[in-house]
Amino acid sequence: MLRLPILTVLMVLVASFIFLRKGRHSLTIPAGEGCVVPKDWLVSNPHPVTPVEHIRPADQTFLTYPEWFLVHSPAEIADYAHVKTTTTFPYVSHIKQLWQSYSVVYDQIKGSFPFNTGYHIMIWVIGVSTTVEYAMKSLYETIVGRLTNPTHGEVVTDEDKFNARFAQDYVDFIRVSPWYEFDFASRIPALLSGTSFFGTHFLRKCDRKYMLLTELLVKAGYGYLIKLGTKASYDEALPTTAVIIDQLPTAITTGRPGSVSPTKTYADGSALLLLPRYEAFHPAVSALAQQGVTFREIAGNNSALLLTVLAPATWQPASPDFRLVFTQPILTKPGLKRVALVTQVKWLDKTVRFVNEQGVKIEHVYDY
Amino acid sequence: MRLKDKLPLSYLLFTSRGRIHRATYWIVSTFIWSTFYVLHTALHDLVGVWATYFLYPLLVGSLFATATKRLHDANRSGYWLLAVLIPVLGPIWLFYQLGFKKGTPKINTFGTVPDEAADYFKNDTGQLIPNLNTKERIINDVTQLNPVVVAEVFRPLSVDELRERIRSTTGPVSVGGGRFSMGGQTASSHSLHIDMRGLNQVLDFSKDDRTISVQAGIRWCDIQRFIDPHDLSIKIMQTYANFTVGGALSVNCHGRYMGHGPLILAVRSMNIVLADGSLVRASRTENPEVFFGAIGGYNGIGIIVSVELDLEENLAVRREYYKLTRPNYRTYFADSIRDNPEAVFHNGDMYPPSFTNMRAVTWVKTLEKPTVKTRLMPLRESYPLERYFLWAFTETFFGNWRREHIVDPLLYLSKPIHWRNYEAGYDVAELEPRSRTKRTYVLQEYFVPVRHFDEFAGKMSEIFNRYHVNVINVSIRHALPDSGSYLAWAREEVFAFVVYYKQRTSEIAKNEVAIWTRELIDAAVSVGGAYYLPYQAHATSEQFHRAYPNAGKLFALKKKLDPNFRFHNVFWDTYYERL
Ligand SMILES: Cc1cc2nc3c(=O)[nH]c(=O)nc-3n(C[C@H](O)[C@H](O)[C@H](O)COP(=O)(O)OP(=O)(O)OC[C@H]3O[C@@H](n4cnc5c(N)ncnc54)[C@H](O)[C@@H]3O)c2cc1C
Repeated sequence: MLRLPILTVLMVLVASFIFLRKGRHSLTIPAGEGCVVPKDWLVSNPHPVTPVEHIRPADQTFLTYPEWFLVHSPAEIADYAHVKTTTTFPYVSHIKQLWQSYSVVYDQIKGSFPFNTGYHIMIWVIGVSTTVEYAMKSLYETIVGRLTNPTHGEVVTDEDKFNARFAQDYVDFIRVSPWYEFDFASRIPALLSGTSFFGTHFLRKCDRKYMLLTELLVKAGYGYLIKLGTKASYDEALPTTAVIIDQLPTAITTGRPGSVSPTKTYADGSALLLLPRYEAFHPAVSALAQQGVTFREIAGNNSALLLTVLAPATWQPASPDFRLVFTQPILTKPGLKRVALVTQVKWLDKTVRFVNEQGVKIEHVYDY
Repeated sequence: MRLKDKLPLSYLLFTSRGRIHRATYWIVSTFIWSTFYVLHTALHDLVGVWATYFLYPLLVGSLFATATKRLHDANRSGYWLLAVLIPVLGPIWLFYQLGFKKGTPKINTFGTVPDEAADYFKNDTGQLIPNLNTKERIINDVTQLNPVVVAEVFRPLSVDELRERIRSTTGPVSVGGGRFSMGGQTASSHSLHIDMRGLNQVLDFSKDDRTISVQAGIRWCDIQRFIDPHDLSIKIMQTYANFTVGGALSVNCHGRYMGHGPLILAVRSMNIVLADGSLVRASRTENPEVFFGAIGGYNGIGIIVSVELDLEENLAVRREYYKLTRPNYRTYFADSIRDNPEAVFHNGDMYPPSFTNMRAVTWVKTLEKPTVKTRLMPLRESYPLERYFLWAFTETFFGNWRREHIVDPLLYLSKPIHWRNYEAGYDVAELEPRSRTKRTYVLQEYFVPVRHFDEFAGKMSEIFNRYHVNVINVSIRHALPDSGSYLAWAREEVFAFVVYYKQRTSEIAKNEVAIWTRELIDAAVSVGGAYYLPYQAHATSEQFHRAYPNAGKLFALKKKLDPNFRFHNVFWDTYYERL
């Protein structure tokens, strides 16, 4: 029976061909071949003013993108789960967007900075884990979920509603904390007690219970292991990002509530601020930019800075203050796309104002 | 043909019977998923989402079928698939069971080890003739060259049943054992054909005396399975274990054993049903003419129903070889092999087309641990490598050269150690070509007194080359003299030249074979030798009698015991004169 191996090789070739071709050009659209950022933007700050404990490597503005994609993607899932069951969510396309964008951002820094081994390993670990998770989900949804899915994918069962809530809580949580801190285990009794056993769409209910139970159990276990591993190999990350601004805005000098007070002021009027890191960073930056503040250093860097915005599919930005790096369509929200822009720290305020004027929403500023 | 052979892929994908290996499971799973992905994408993009639902029965069906077979391999029923319902642990456990767990090494509740055949290769029980309402059947032998229409096939399950049938009928009778003889020796037109394979019981066994009594339709492989646990081995048999004892006895077979010879040397006594239905016991002292007439007698005087045979110890044997040229073989054999008490099996292979280079292969006794896992030879479903080599040696340019200088040296790199039973357990299936319709493999054998080895070898190779015979192998074996059978092929100490060749099946090709066969017979007879009778009956009557000078005695005995010429087959139809 030599026929089977030969047929198998053929089918695998055909399948790989189809798989690799699908969405090759449409899921992530780079602005150009290779590096599109001017080389002189891609340098580390030789004389940072920022205290050394607040300095982070300059290339990390790019390398944090894949990591953040793994927040953007669950966010998209959570939004989707409110209107439709996640059975039809395009998991495989998200896997592709993850790796494609990783490849684009790496193209930008390749050669300009020494290879950041630790960070790449981290990206690979989370990337592969997510790929496996999404692939399994896609497989399961294709062979089981599809068959039990209510017509038009309406969120009608207790279980699908539970899923929508869980997806939302999860993404809200990971916007500020590492995912593995999420308390998956406590959701298991909630799932079992919060849903009825019988009911309309009985098969769907069984299928979802099985799936959610599996997901919660696996993630609880895997999260526990990752937590151990992360504690052992990475230092605790600072929850703040230090920025140096050219002058204190009036809001701060007058001590308006809600504003950040400077950690240190310098003779030329510039000041060191400790802004919240991660999710809350870009609102803080926007607020400062609106007050006419210009940035000199962010986490010790004064060069290239990546930010993404969510814009209508027709939006074609152009300005000397930034360069377009790539765009990705938001697959579950037709008409919307993610645009990745790179600017320099000193032009961040202008870029932010430009984007705001255009009525486009900043998704994230990648603060190294 | 079984469904399994006709539609191997569908069988694999959609039936849950039997077992599959881990490797097969991985391959077939990859096949199923990649095919599903391709078809799903194609239907989705080209036809519409609704069309993809048609794939689900196929996908689910094939996943279930293959997983069930894989579970069977580790002796678990398909119901274990339900384990998938237990979240997390179920799928993980199943993944291990399906993808990694080794199968049980032996036959289990769900079937034989994958790719291992359930049994030795067997010939059919007579082919039906389409649209015919009579009991007529076609009886053919392993070569498929000798189809004969017989009146009826009768498969007795007891000796009494057989005797009753013989007593109550008058017409011609033909007898078949394994039907591996190659020249119509098992059938005669419109005879009552008796299929002996139903009489296959072990009647008596003594470990201490090293003897066994068996019914004549039993096969060597069946006896091996019976005696192997007692560390005993059949004293004399052929290399292949498919043959029946009755068939082997009626040709007075030989193997590759050293210090032995024709099978008669290992027979103590037998029971035989004569043409009138009477049952006679025969040994060297009791009815000796029946004993010497029936052994090697091609069912001429009666139907052998049971036999008492000698057994030997089942030793471990190690293979050794020695490369030499033909002129040196006789002295090498005389000096190093003939009286070597350690030698158990021996054969000397001559390489075509020049037949001057030889490889002498000897299996010697050893106390080392055998290199094979099983005590008996495992059976395989198919022999693709063997088939390929046979094809390559016979059909490709320099096939023979490659064999002598590349393939064989590689094959002989190892020093295998087998059990004596293992080494006598080959399955004829390994020689079976995919089809025998256009070309077929045939055997012949010539027996030459040892002192005339060189002379005959020279004549033989000249004839083969002159006729461009597609010879695969000529293997030399040794036999001590027969103890008196009428159709003895070893009237003195002989070398047997076992010729394995390939021929086309057209009438012209068959005639051509007949012509060079007769030349070879002349060559053998000219040095006081003989040719072997279970193969095609190409010899003239005159050649037959020169090769078998005592045939007249057997004919006379047949006339006395079978006066109405009931026992027929191609052999008797060709050479027996009804005086
Ligand atoms: C691949 C192959 C390898 C072989 N190798 C060898 C070998 O190494 N050495 C060797 O000596 N021979 C060898 N032979 C020949 C083989 O030994 C004979 O063909 C032998 O007869 C096969 O046994 P069988 O059971 O198939 O007999 P069958 O072919 O069925 O019968 C052979 C003859 O015996 C008669 N007969 C069968 N059973 C009985 C019975 N119970 N009573 C009376 N008559 C009976 C039949 O009528 C027929 O005339 C080989 C043959 C093949 C195909």
